[in-house]
Amino acid sequence: MKFLIILVLFIATSFIGLADIPKQKLIKKGAYLADIGDCFACHTAEIGQQFGGGVPFLTPFGNIYSTNISSDKQEGIGDYTYQEFSDAVRHGIGKHGNLYPAMPFTSFHLITDEDTKALYAFMMSTKPVSQKNRKNDVGFPFNIRLGLKGWNLLNLSDAKFIPSTGKSKKYNRGKYLVNSLGHCGECHTPRNFMMAMKEDANLEGNLIIGYVAPPLTARELQRQEWTLRDLMDVMKYGYSRRGTVLGHMTPIVYHSLANVKEEDLEAMASYLLDSDTEIKEKALTFNGHDKKDPGYLLYSGYCASCHGINGQGITNVTPALAGDATLNQKKPLNTILTIIYGIEKVRYSQTNGFGEMPSYDLSDEELQSLINYLQKTFTNLNIKHSLKDIQRFKKEVIQGMHDAGH
Amino acid sequence: MHTLQLHINGKKVGPLQISEEIMMIEFLHEYLNLTGTKFGCGQGQCNACVIIVDHADGHSETMKTCINSALMFNNKHVRTIEGHAEKNAQGYAVKLNPVQEAFIKQFSFQCGWCTSGFVNEATVLVETLQKQPVQLHDVESLIEDTLNKHICRCTGYVKYYKSMKALILAQQGVKKS
Repeated sequence: MKFLIILVLFIATSFIGLADIPKQKLIKKGAYLADIGDCFACHTAEIGQQFGGGVPFLTPFGNIYSTNISSDKQEGIGDYTYQEFSDAVRHGIGKHGNLYPAMPFTSFHLITDEDTKALYAFMMSTKPVSQKNRKNDVGFPFNIRLGLKGWNLLNLSDAKFIPSTGKSKKYNRGKYLVNSLGHCGECHTPRNFMMAMKEDANLEGNLIIGYVAPPLTARELQRQEWTLRDLMDVMKYGYSRRGTVLGHMTPIVYHSLANVKEEDLEAMASYLLDSDTEIKEKALTFNGHDKKDPGYLLYSGYCASCHGINGQGITNVTPALAGDATLNQKKPLNTILTIIYGIEKVRYSQTNGFGEMPSYDLSDEELQSLINYLQKTFTNLNIKHSLKDIQRFKKEVIQGMHDAGH
Repeated sequence: MHTLQLHINGKKVGPLQISEEIMMIEFLHEYLNLTGTKFGCGQGQCNACVIIVDHADGHSETMKTCINSALMFNNKHVRTIEGHAEKNAQGYAVKLNPVQEAFIKQFSFQCGWCTSGFVNEATVLVETLQKQPVQLHDVESLIEDTLNKHICRCTGYVKYYKSMKALILAQQGVKKS
């Protein structure tokens, strides 16, 4: 009798275990999708518990704080039904009013039902965190959430993700990830006067939080001679043959892109470069030095010791300048930014990173001379910026940093 | 080759012809025999090699000598570790500057490789505080912010920081109560 009871219990628990397998699979898938969506970065404060919220977003209208999205039923979203979760994530409609578009629902509306279900399963399985939500410091009239309904009407599309016809499965997987979960456009797409992404300028680059989120259009990336591997490297490791990520992109690599599977990174790179096959690698640009150019004196005086006389860089200390994509931008805002503000040392992983770059207090004339020299020597751009251009760019950079509260 | 002329520890140096590829630390060591400035990482990370640049408007800052060429100091007034102590007519040091004195009193350093960098950075801080004092409760964080970038492989940080705090608190006009 005793044996029979044990046998029945064993069989019953086995079935319960089996029934859990699809749910566990769904949660695992959801966890991966949450990684791609980088829920962690915006919903986990620097000193805070996972998904407890409280990360400040400085906007021109005031400070917005991300909310607790843990499975806590009181403070988090543990009591959300699937429909309520979907409405919040994909349509910006929260249980207590419309969400501010700091939540990237204008990208997330493209997430498929299947993926939303997986995300829901994962979010309901997270550790409950009882951290209270912080009140936003948004001034009148932006504190009236009713206005956001109007914003949604004008700026939130109901369209579902549509794969491009005539393109490969890989390309369309990349298109889906970049434009929906990856929400790359939220930074890399310019915004209109209502602060919504310009639909006709997808991924054409944008000045945001003091930095330029560079253009990611296939035309621009191909002009800068990126390969699929280069793009995959910069997403996965934070640096590549074509340069490194900067500023706010660093935690995105650390928390999100570093965890993305190789095949998904390849799909994203394939979409961004509009190429299914690997592109032939080209040598990094170094056009030789023109020692008579006054920019050479500044290059050898301030830059060459760390970046190498031929711009080759030093592993884990400084990135190469030869062929660097940041230098290879027609409007050299990020180059000016790095020169006048410097860069803090950065760690992309336990083993990889770069050292600190000091800031340089150069005159406008010196800045003009150095930037023109860097672009002439290490890129194929045929541009000579006038002093007025440089002064205008510098003003834009300083204003951007000021607005971003840096 | 380019012309270089500057003031080091109050003395005029140059004009002389120098290659644009000579780093400042190399110039100090090999041309002037001023070997107190130490070559650490050579990549601008450890700050052992910083010297003081005094600007015409009265403010001073430290600058790395391992990654900046000598020509980048053209027409500047700089101070190195050799310039801090008072010297007698024979050129021998007879009185250390307050920062050097404080570091010695607290046994702040062991091998001393990073010390000239720490002394220069701390000297600029003390001089700045004499002109612009801060509140007492800001002193510790200010010391940390200022010395944070300096690396000491013997891990003398606590004693460096302690001696700085003691010096700043002891000096008149440095703090506002």
